[in-house]
Amino acid sequence: MSEPKLLTAARHVVLLAFVAIALWPVLDVISISLRPGDQLRTAEWRLIPRDWTLDSYRELFTSQPFLRWLGNSLLVAAGVTATGVALASIGGYAFSRFRFVGRQAMMLSILTTQMFPATMLLLPLYIMIAKLGLVNTFLGLGIFYVSTALPFCIWQMKGFYDTIPRSLEEAARIDGCTPWQSFRRVILPLAVPGLVITALFSFMTAWSEYIVAAQILQDRDLFTLPLGLKSFQASMSTQWGLYAAASILVSVPVVVVFVLLSRYLVSGMTLGSVKE
Amino acid sequence: MRTRRRNAVTVHLLVAAALLALSGCGERDSRRVINLWHQMRPEDRAVLAERIEVFERDHPGVAVRALYKETEELRSGLVSAVLADKGPEVIYGPSDVVGVYQAMGALADMSAWFTSAEEKAFDPRAVVRLPDRTDPARKDLVFLGDRFGNHLALVYNRRLIPRPPATTAELVELAKANTVDENGDGQSDRYGLVWNYTEPFFVIPFLTGYGAWIFEDEATTRREGRRDPQPTLDTPEAIAAYRFVAALRNEHRVLPRSADYETATALFRAGKAAMIIDGDWSWQNYLTTPGLDAAVALLPTVAETGLPMAPMVAPKGYSLTSFATGEQADEAMELILFLTGEETQRAFLAQQRILPSRLALRDDPLVTDDPVMALSVEQAERGRAMPTTVAMRAVWDAMRPPYQLMMAGQLDAAEASARMQHDALARIETITGQTTPDGSAFVVYALAAGALAALLAFLRRHFRAFGVDWRRNRLAYVLVLPSIVLIFLTVLYPLAYNIVLSFSNMSLTNLRDWEIVGLRNYASIATGGESQVFWQIFVKTLFWTAINVFFHVTIGVLLAVTLNGPVAGKSFYRVMLIIPWAVPAYITALTWRGMFDEQFGAVNQMIRGLSWMNGFLPDMLQLEPINWLGQATPAFAACIIANVWLGFPFMMVIALGGLQGIPAELYEAARIDRASRWQQFRMITLPMLKPVLVPAVTLGAVWTFNNLNVVWLVSNGGEPADQTHILVSYVYKAVFNLYQYGYGAALSMVLFFMLLTFSLLFLGKTRATEAVY
Repeated sequence: MSEPKLLTAARHVVLLAFVAIALWPVLDVISISLRPGDQLRTAEWRLIPRDWTLDSYRELFTSQPFLRWLGNSLLVAAGVTATGVALASIGGYAFSRFRFVGRQAMMLSILTTQMFPATMLLLPLYIMIAKLGLVNTFLGLGIFYVSTALPFCIWQMKGFYDTIPRSLEEAARIDGCTPWQSFRRVILPLAVPGLVITALFSFMTAWSEYIVAAQILQDRDLFTLPLGLKSFQASMSTQWGLYAAASILVSVPVVVVFVLLSRYLVSGMTLGSVKE
Repeated sequence: MRTRRRNAVTVHLLVAAALLALSGCGERDSRRVINLWHQMRPEDRAVLAERIEVFERDHPGVAVRALYKETEELRSGLVSAVLADKGPEVIYGPSDVVGVYQAMGALADMSAWFTSAEEKAFDPRAVVRLPDRTDPARKDLVFLGDRFGNHLALVYNRRLIPRPPATTAELVELAKANTVDENGDGQSDRYGLVWNYTEPFFVIPFLTGYGAWIFEDEATTRREGRRDPQPTLDTPEAIAAYRFVAALRNEHRVLPRSADYETATALFRAGKAAMIIDGDWSWQNYLTTPGLDAAVALLPTVAETGLPMAPMVAPKGYSLTSFATGEQADEAMELILFLTGEETQRAFLAQQRILPSRLALRDDPLVTDDPVMALSVEQAERGRAMPTTVAMRAVWDAMRPPYQLMMAGQLDAAEASARMQHDALARIETITGQTTPDGSAFVVYALAAGALAALLAFLRRHFRAFGVDWRRNRLAYVLVLPSIVLIFLTVLYPLAYNIVLSFSNMSLTNLRDWEIVGLRNYASIATGGESQVFWQIFVKTLFWTAINVFFHVTIGVLLAVTLNGPVAGKSFYRVMLIIPWAVPAYITALTWRGMFDEQFGAVNQMIRGLSWMNGFLPDMLQLEPINWLGQATPAFAACIIANVWLGFPFMMVIALGGLQGIPAELYEAARIDRASRWQQFRMITLPMLKPVLVPAVTLGAVWTFNNLNVVWLVSNGGEPADQTHILVSYVYKAVFNLYQYGYGAALSMVLFFMLLTFSLLFLGKTRATEAVY
């Protein structure tokens, strides 16, 4: 399929313009993170500032518990991702393939949870977590993250299973598989792109959440990255250099994950795709 | 059969193991822990850590865990702590919030550990006693200050002002002489005086100079038999002060047209303002600004009254909380006395030039040999301590809008002060007033009973069906069970709690002993005093949602269609365009706030960089740097721009997925029929994308409607003057500013039903449900 040169050129113009817009704030943060301490607020913008320095990064690793926060974040995010994927993969399958009593009601109420202003849930949530003795534990935080990520993940997985023809399972059943085996051996391997998206979504939820973490984690050694970052800010004096450097380091893993998975991103996202 | 169940069980075990793995990090040492929540600047935290280390060395059985909490975080954290009965033993912060903490029952009386001999060593304004909650005749010692700060003084440019003014008459003369229009265009290029006149805090010295104060004195309160002091915002002295202030701008024209903190600072630093009124936190910056010869002076005396202008001073210090009991309280108290002790204060003074609360240290050479420190002490000693009453915040909130209108020349002084007083009284009534159950409480109980009965009937009917179904669909139930349990555990309980709260009178003073009062909260949303604001913000929220979703979808579809054609470097573009989605939103939202800064922000820098184009542009489209965050409409636009940027990649990915599902034969057929590209887009692409986009739009609208983060971070909690709120941020602020937890719960229920209705209608109307279910 060929098209006029002009149209191709137009495509590039549009794409390049939006790439510039997409990168602009990120470049701004990179620039701040490289500035020496006395130029943090400057009226003159350069990507690589004059007298650029890696001091902010150095300080992050030497005099701040950045690695510890990174470890905490990785642990929480990994736990949440594993749990979220496991639960959504089986839950979504049940919603896609079985017609059981309460299915509609459950699916609707899962969707409904997305409509409640989350900030209003904070207070009762904290009381509940405190009563369960889970304040200052990753378990308390993990439970909350899994349950916030799950509604989207379940819907997403259900949508993906809907695109896989039922005839595959029927064939497997004829070959003597139990329903569980046909799910485990036939359907699940086909659902990898959907699982990847679900994993990505769970990971993002845990990686970048801040408000709930601030309520539950009250020990600087247990901080996740967003909390650590936030502690560089104070009302009258923010350590912008540290903040910017840490922002970059926090974003890099997510961006890398996105880049690696971008192949799946389009094919795996099936929100509302037409089934069968 | 058996393997199937075993496998399902294995999955559950794995999940449980994963959750357990998360919990394996709670090991503690055997020392007793004292938790300290503090609000120290990053530079001060190093000193604090050093001193805590010394304390721990002297007390081997005790570990101190210090944790920085922002103002709002500390406050909401303490509310949660009171409700859960679990919290920090010691807190540190400015004194103006202790009234609130005392009212919610978070503080303990420290009198037993504090001798009167000890007390003599402190500046009396650093020792705060408040009436006991149960026995108001008794006074609790609730706050022990270790420092003073936040006092304003006059900073002047020595090149323009050889000698600082001693009286306000001299101030006006000097200011007039230094307000100059250099290029004769009718607008001043240099101003005599500037300060941040968006915040009423900066007008306090004028009030005190004219003999006014924002609250009545203690004697009047006692005489009138009131529990808390009344605000006095419309006294003749206050009106005189406002008249003087407004005249500076509107009559003498020595002030710039508008100035928030950033503008004021920037003007003075650039030499475009001869004098500035600013606080102790800022002086060092001015004195060390290259090319600026600045000096600090005491605020002048008011010519008419002969009174010196006295700023507010806020002590900062420690409070013991009610969570500390027994031996732990003793140790926590030892910590407080150690941290307010002479050694610690000297360390802060020596390392961070902090004004100590111990009188003995005021004669230390560290203070007397440093002219700025010495002046700081003198100005602080003239200052009046920041009130600690619960009403303080209500007074600030009430003063702000009329003060801003007065400074804009839209209200005269008398009218503005009358409005302040009226609004302050109304707000204080809201905070401290107690509502009692009325007739509608029975309606609530009846409704609850009805709902419960309906639920039981519903369950009973379905239970039977479930019993039959269980045998057939056992695997399905096993598979959904863990998700459902988890979601409902974390959402259902808070939701139920919130529903109950929405019928209650829970507020600051009865955090623990609130009761169901009926439908009042809902009634006041629809018809009450605040309802006008509510509907206004509701309309704004609809705009916010519609504009955002419109741009998300348009940009997303545009990019998807562009990417979907034969274009080189497709995967490169795709990765780059996903970046706004990949970078955590709280980082980019704050980055956008920085980029919208009027002077240093990248957006205005670009506008300045493009100003060469002005010669080619019509008058309407001239590129001028915009004061983004200082005015209501640009600030709201800034929030929208940031949110559009954040949201378009999601829609692009969705649309890309949808485009790949459109069979190529359709386009081929269209080409044979000689349909133009636009026709192909209209007739094939859009209709085929619809089933994918409709649920995405629904979800996007719900997310946008409920998006607190972006508005909150970009506009810094609704600035300027609470004009950039959408409903969620308004609820958040209303609840936490006025402590109306019942009202806030009702508001969030209303939001919830709005979204629910919208989603059902939208999905139903577009028949997308067929595809989603």
